Amino acid sequence: MASAPNANGDAAVSEYDLMLKLVPHLDRHMIFPLLEFSAGQLVDEESGDVKDEAKAREITQAKYSLLKNSNMTDYVANLYCELAGIEEAPAEFADKKQKVFSQLENYEQQTSKIIELLEREDVVNNLRSDKVANLEFLKREHQVTMEMVNALFDLGNLQYSCGNYGGASEMLYRFRVLSTDNDKVAFATWGRLACEILIMNWESAMEELQKVRETIDTRLSQNPLAQLQHRTALTHWALFPLFNFEKAREPILELFFNAGYINSIQANCPWILRYLAVAVITNRGRAKNPGIHQKQMKDVVRIVKQEAYEYQDPITRFVHALSIDFDFEEAQRQLVLAEEVLRGDFFLLAHADDFVDSARHLIFESYCKIHARISLQDLSARLGLNADAAEKWIVNLIRDTRLDAKIDYKEGTVVMNHPPSSVYQQVIEKTKGGFFRTQVLTAAIAK
Amino acid sequence: MSRFFRGGDDSSSESSSDEEELYSTSEEEEEEDQEQQESSEEEDEEKSSDEEEGPKKTGLSRFLVDQASSDSEGSDEEAATKVKSAKDKRFDELEATITTIQNRQKIDDWGSIANEFDKLNRQVVKLQDGGKAPKSYIKCIAELEDFLNETLAKQKVTPKNKKLNATNARGLNAVKQRIKKNNKDYQTQIDAFRKDSDDFMESDEEEAPAPRTKVRFQEPLDLEEAVEDEGGFARVDKRGKAIPFSPESIQKHLRAIVESRGRKNTDRGEQIKIMEELSKVAETPYLKIRVLQTLVSARFDLGSGTTTSMPLEHWKAAERELAALLTLLETHKDHVVIEGAEEWEDDDKTPVLGPDDKYIKVPGSVVSYIERLDDELTRSLQSIDPHTSEYIERLTDEASLYNIILQGLLYYETIRKDASLDIPQESLNRIIQRRLDHVYFKPAQVVKILEENAWKQASSGVDSAITPRGVSGDAGKLMHTLCNYLFDNSEGIIRARAMLCQIYFLALHDEYYKARDMMLTSHLQESIASFDVATQILYNRTLVQVGLCAFRRGLVYDAQNTLQDICGSGRQKELLAQGVMMQRYNQVTPEQERLEKQRQLPFHMHINLELLECVYLTCSMLLEIPLLAQIGSSPDIKKRVISKTYRRMLEYHERQIFTGPPENTRDHVMQASKALAAGEWKKATHFIHSIKIWDLMPSAEEIKAMLAKQIQEEGLRTYLFTYAPFYDTLAIETLSTMFELDSVKVSAVVSKMISHEELAAALDQVTKTVIFRKGVELSRLQSLALALSDKASALIETNERTLEVRTQGSANAFSRKDGRQGGQRGGGQRGGRGGARAGGNAQRQAGGTQFTGGALGAAVRG
Repeated sequence: MASAPNANGDAAVSEYDLMLKLVPHLDRHMIFPLLEFSAGQLVDEESGDVKDEAKAREITQAKYSLLKNSNMTDYVANLYCELAGIEEAPAEFADKKQKVFSQLENYEQQTSKIIELLEREDVVNNLRSDKVANLEFLKREHQVTMEMVNALFDLGNLQYSCGNYGGASEMLYRFRVLSTDNDKVAFATWGRLACEILIMNWESAMEELQKVRETIDTRLSQNPLAQLQHRTALTHWALFPLFNFEKAREPILELFFNAGYINSIQANCPWILRYLAVAVITNRGRAKNPGIHQKQMKDVVRIVKQEAYEYQDPITRFVHALSIDFDFEEAQRQLVLAEEVLRGDFFLLAHADDFVDSARHLIFESYCKIHARISLQDLSARLGLNADAAEKWIVNLIRDTRLDAKIDYKEGTVVMNHPPSSVYQQVIEKTKGGFFRTQVLTAAIAK
Repeated sequence: MSRFFRGGDDSSSESSSDEEELYSTSEEEEEEDQEQQESSEEEDEEKSSDEEEGPKKTGLSRFLVDQASSDSEGSDEEAATKVKSAKDKRFDELEATITTIQNRQKIDDWGSIANEFDKLNRQVVKLQDGGKAPKSYIKCIAELEDFLNETLAKQKVTPKNKKLNATNARGLNAVKQRIKKNNKDYQTQIDAFRKDSDDFMESDEEEAPAPRTKVRFQEPLDLEEAVEDEGGFARVDKRGKAIPFSPESIQKHLRAIVESRGRKNTDRGEQIKIMEELSKVAETPYLKIRVLQTLVSARFDLGSGTTTSMPLEHWKAAERELAALLTLLETHKDHVVIEGAEEWEDDDKTPVLGPDDKYIKVPGSVVSYIERLDDELTRSLQSIDPHTSEYIERLTDEASLYNIILQGLLYYETIRKDASLDIPQESLNRIIQRRLDHVYFKPAQVVKILEENAWKQASSGVDSAITPRGVSGDAGKLMHTLCNYLFDNSEGIIRARAMLCQIYFLALHDEYYKARDMMLTSHLQESIASFDVATQILYNRTLVQVGLCAFRRGLVYDAQNTLQDICGSGRQKELLAQGVMMQRYNQVTPEQERLEKQRQLPFHMHINLELLECVYLTCSMLLEIPLLAQIGSSPDIKKRVISKTYRRMLEYHERQIFTGPPENTRDHVMQASKALAAGEWKKATHFIHSIKIWDLMPSAEEIKAMLAKQIQEEGLRTYLFTYAPFYDTLAIETLSTMFELDSVKVSAVVSKMISHEELAAALDQVTKTVIFRKGVELSRLQSLALALSDKASALIETNERTLEVRTQGSANAFSRKDGRQGGQRGGGQRGGRGGARAGGNAQRQAGGTQFTGGALGAAVRG
């Protein structure tokens, strides 16, 4: 890793931009925020000027081609005007708009009845968990046909395409309640997930995520290729809640470390490792169970090592340098680069500081583990802080983590005390859970 | 024409039964008759007819030839009537019996019919001439059967009125049973008879004399010898027809030859000569194709024994002819050779293009010819001593073979373009597989030359859709296209083989990660045991190649891990099909041994076993020596063994009282191991570097440098393990000078060891020293207690796992387990090269790097 190029910041950031790799696995509506973000990056924060005209135009062009096929006609028309440099959008956009509207109306008419029905309390109360029976009931009592149910799906689709995510989500939800068509239900679930992500309704997004996951595991178990593709897509989609919703962290990390998903990541999209590594590293203080965190950290290290030949960026190199090569200087160098990369990443921007902080902890931890005496000066350089800040930082750290260490101010060193783990303690540790586990075992057998 | 002459000439005739002996004498007599008539050709004929006796021996084939040359039958009888020989006498007897049967039929005397029928059958056995029963006999039994059926029918209708007496009834039953069995043997003839009884009996006889007269005129031609190979009397006719060399005669010849295939004592040499002549006169493409096809098959028959290979000149000729055939097919696009085409029945005409037909279809399989040619080359290479120039000469034929394969491929591609022909995908797959088989083990440069030459041969206008000329220049791309084609279009063994070939090629060209990933994603290690032995061998070869590739990349751990199964077994030779193992206890049957010999790969495909051993031992040394040092200093760590083979050798080496200077590879590695264990890394490096065989590796210098670096590091580790108990502190600087390593590198190594808790120490950054902790050595009781607790938790874990398997993982009660384990692992004691090893193991489980030895076992047993 020592040979990693120490290119200047700008080059490094663009080199590690994952946009192109992520895009194929995302829905077009999800790509939009990413493009928005890159456009935002180009705007100089202080003056508000656009730094790179050509690039900005390129992005607008990208936006246009991205949304051209969607039904968000107004916005597309605006984009077109911007690109072509004209005031008035051509008539075709108006035509299209008209068409979309009529389509919408059409579907709304078709579905109005069923929606109405679903809002009536007496109807809803009669619904059971059995879908077939429900449909039977609705058919019998209220002349609901299969076509009407499917119209719900189409309407949802159209609304989504128009950018009305909330409405789409609602439609798809209703569709799912009634439909017995498994394929369409699966699509509807994906659709809802997309909607919830786009309206940033993370709680229900997480629910949908779990549902999609179940469908992938159960329905596609006979088709490994489709399973791989679906998992890859889900992994990418899950990045949105992962970095935007605190509570989503644990379940999504758990999802990523699931054997099927980690294999998909390794096989199909190793760049996800960056996000995985960042998520795990920043999860340090938050994890309820330090054991799980340690295990995840170990897994990350292992996978980073395995995939080193295929994918590298400053974040994975940092992990590699720190936990595999024990080259602290290299780790420090990579950390600086990593911070820049993080600041240029749509998902990770908000976590850059957090990451740097956690990474410092990590460095210090493993440093302390290995060293008996460290010079303060050296350490502050390692952590990228000045001497005073470093001292303060270390004191805080020692207090927080109850590390067995002391600062020898006169010598300017931190002295670590590594008590050898007592044999007795080891034996106790090892045999501690034995009784409980045996009990569980007996209970399981008795069942 | 003495029997002795024949006996000496042809040993197989001795095995024939007495009856046949009798028959052959009678035939000889007859032949003498003939000789009287045609005295001018005595000498030549004696020989050829002699050699031609074989075909008449076995029932079925005898029968076959008759059908073919049924028109020759008439002459048989004609000749037979002229002189009263033993055979004629029998004929008369036969006729007499037949008359009796016919008479008895008239009076419904089934008792005597039964007797006569038995007699008839006995007689006819002796009279069967060239596999053919006499016409009259056929007539008789056919009529008899009809009569029998009639009688039976009658009996059913009138059971009471006209009951047969006891003898008659018994006779009837006997005949009924026997005739069924008997007539089955002559079914076709009987059918022919029934169809047109007059024709059957007479037509041939009329034809016969005409050709015979021709014979007399044409005798002086030197071709006659070639034509004489037809058995017995028919020969005369055949020759007569052959001489004009009209297209019809060619077809008849071919038919005769085709039908005599596979029989004992067919003189294939003679046939080939005939066909060579025929191919000269064949004019139309159709005939040329037919002649070439038959010729090539006949040549292949020469080497059809299980052990012998095809003679060289015939192989070359076959290769030329196949090439000619393919060129012919290429120039005459309206002719196609495809499997499952209708046989052209009419020998007198050649097929012409009908108004509706696009093609003249000739039955045959080009891919089979090519495969056979390939197999024959392999076989001959197997039998030639690889260290002679003969082997190298023979090997040059591979290039021409490759040309043929390419041509064949082009041919199949062309005919597959036309959907109406309905060419099975499989043929194309097979031919691509053959091409792959000739490419995959060769370095890119060699493949490039091979390809260039092959394309030079192909006519310039042609290009391949699957592998266009452009692609062929780059061996890697070529492999990729070929393999991808097979991935998409084939399944089962061919697909697996394509995969293995690709992996092999990648590994050979140092694409370790690609090769490894493909190996893992193929999941072949799970299913390989169900494939045939040849594929298993390919799998083993691929495995070894991947291991060697890992070694070249400096990935010692992976290399050792991959090579373990093959090299640790001690049966490398067998597993790679590079030589038959000497069996200590003679357990293999000759049959197995023969099979195993057949499987052997030709020498030029071999993977150097000595190099392999050297790599394996070196890797094992680099892993084992630090491990041994670690175990030596802390007795509580479980005795882990990485390579049993290596350990055994090391022990053996240590037991020696006097160790001389190293002579072979193994000695070198062992002495290096000893030096390394003692911390003398320089000596170890010297030993390893003086192994000559590294020179066989591409970029040997780099590998040596890599090894030196590895030895330095492992030496450092070993040193620390061994001498840690005797030091309080050690300066990094000292270590750095001792092992000539950068001090950063030294601290990295030490850090790693500390972090993995292999070493009870800490670094002092200020003084740049390693401080060894004291009091970590455990007392005997303590280490035993630790071991006990380990075992207890292992027991619980095993129980849990067993239960989990039983309940199919539904017992969620163990979800707690993960967290607990994680915690323990963090704080617990984990011996060995923690990180690296743990990573490796986990990877094994996840991806299944474990290339199991299951296939290997089967490969040997099978």
